[in-house]
Amino acid sequence: MSPAVVQTLSLARRSVKGTFRFPQAWFPSLFFPLVLMAIFTASFGASAAHIPGFPKIDGFLSFAMTGAIVQGVLISGVGAGGFFAADIEGGFFDRLASSPASRSAILVSRLVAGMFLATCQAIFFMAIALIFGATIQGGVVGALIVIVLAGLLAIPIGGLGVLLALRTGSAEAVQGMFPLFFALMFFSSTFFPRETMTGWFQTVANLNPISHLVEGMRQQIIVGVDWRAAGVSLAIIIGLAVLTVGGSALNLRRRLEGNQ
Amino acid sequence: MDEAIVVEGLEREFKGGIRAVDGIDLHVRAGEVYGFLGPNGAGKSTTVRMLTTLLRPTGGTATVAGFDVLHQAGDVRRSIGVALQDAAIDPFMTGRELLRLQAILHAIPRSEGHARGEELLERVGLIDAADRRVGTYSGGMRRRLDLALALVHEPVVLFLDEPTTGLDPTSRVALWEEVRRLNRESGTTVFLTTQYLEEADQLAERVGIIDGGKIVAEGTPAQLKAEIGDPTLVITPTDPSQLAAAAGVLAGFGPAADAKPGATAVRLHEGTEGIARVVRALDHAGISTAGIELHQPSLDDVFVERTGHRLEGDAEGAAGGKGRGGRKGRR
Repeated sequence: MSPAVVQTLSLARRSVKGTFRFPQAWFPSLFFPLVLMAIFTASFGASAAHIPGFPKIDGFLSFAMTGAIVQGVLISGVGAGGFFAADIEGGFFDRLASSPASRSAILVSRLVAGMFLATCQAIFFMAIALIFGATIQGGVVGALIVIVLAGLLAIPIGGLGVLLALRTGSAEAVQGMFPLFFALMFFSSTFFPRETMTGWFQTVANLNPISHLVEGMRQQIIVGVDWRAAGVSLAIIIGLAVLTVGGSALNLRRRLEGNQ
Repeated sequence: MDEAIVVEGLEREFKGGIRAVDGIDLHVRAGEVYGFLGPNGAGKSTTVRMLTTLLRPTGGTATVAGFDVLHQAGDVRRSIGVALQDAAIDPFMTGRELLRLQAILHAIPRSEGHARGEELLERVGLIDAADRRVGTYSGGMRRRLDLALALVHEPVVLFLDEPTTGLDPTSRVALWEEVRRLNRESGTTVFLTTQYLEEADQLAERVGIIDGGKIVAEGTPAQLKAEIGDPTLVITPTDPSQLAAAAGVLAGFGPAADAKPGATAVRLHEGTEGIARVVRALDHAGISTAGIELHQPSLDDVFVERTGHRLEGDAEGAAGGKGRGGRKGRR
């Protein structure tokens, strides 16, 4: 393996270890999605099937599962940004920058770590939902599609976290963006279908790429394997990744040149 | 490579027109320990950041280990070891993990990196703490680990940015000893910034004094002190009412110098040989003395002489001087 690949993987392993050793980092990303999934399922579990426009589902938990998975990835993305900012604040970033290590390894390693963590999370949420009676219409293939998409989603979201970290250089500032991530989710069909929304709220959700991303994943669970829907999700992930990772790369270069 | 660091007209201007470093020249010989001395905000760290490729100069040139910091940054990074201020260490990793990671960053083969890591842990006395998270380390342990990390790839030039700031005296002396040994055994060039006069005096073969982004004095500690020249003689009369009379006698031997309350001082033009004459003159004037102290000039005096102000931060530092009287009470 080339030194750049070894460096990327070693730094990614360090990021994963750092996350596991800091429960404040991973606990919220597991806890909050589970709580919301439980509350929504308890609140709407009996009536969802009777709401006009609500998609035909096997049980509300099956519907809510995707929301939890995506929410987990978003929270982890904030966490990844926070860790990156802490590296800048604490000087670890300077350690990397003053070493001959590959420049791209600094950024890519964080994204690789995010992918790994998001994949683990997706499997965890799926397992919990299945234990409590959810079903996956797409079967094993559908489940794999959702897990892979969740892992890939960690790239643009982690990219956004790193972008904020590079812009602000402050872990606190990155954590402060947390409500923004949440708003992005609530103004989408992450938790409820667009069909049941009204007025401007529905318009916003229609325009929000997160809606289409989530629906492409959810389709695999509540309907069955749907490659076209998966393709839409993948396209959105790639589009967002180009923006956020591209932005991060540019800002990384600026910071490495010491122009900030 | 005779010169490990060559800097000419180096400048760094930040947004808003602040010139942190304002046209400095430096020549550091290979194998030398060079002390870069100055107060907070003098431009020490900005200089180090430029020399370690972390910050682009806005003017001038700099080569480190024979490579240009701007155009051969990769070669510079392979040649240098860097321990920056505040020991930038990931608190969630263990000492051993960080050393192994550092070896990977320098593309050192795995088995070699592991062996080197163990050797360094042994050397800096962290072998027992190697598997503990760095977050649990004391300040001195963190600095020692930081030093070990900077040495993983056996660098030609080692940059230490305020390596002992905030350390207790014992840890400070231990780190000095390690730096001396390293320089002696491996011939590593060391570029050290410090705001402690004693540190520069103890470690550095040559000292550059920076203030307001400019180098205001440079030379060996002995040379710099010699430039200040005359030693200071401090006289404390037994009878405080004779203070003015004592000062009058001393005035015949050179210009007055700062002294603690109840004492009077003079810069002895004749050097140490003048003491006997001063004592005789005091005796002749009927002034009995409770104390006579002779102080050779210190780097602190050099600093005050060149910059017109005192080195802040030194008061809480190793030398422990406090206020005007304290300076004279130390040498």
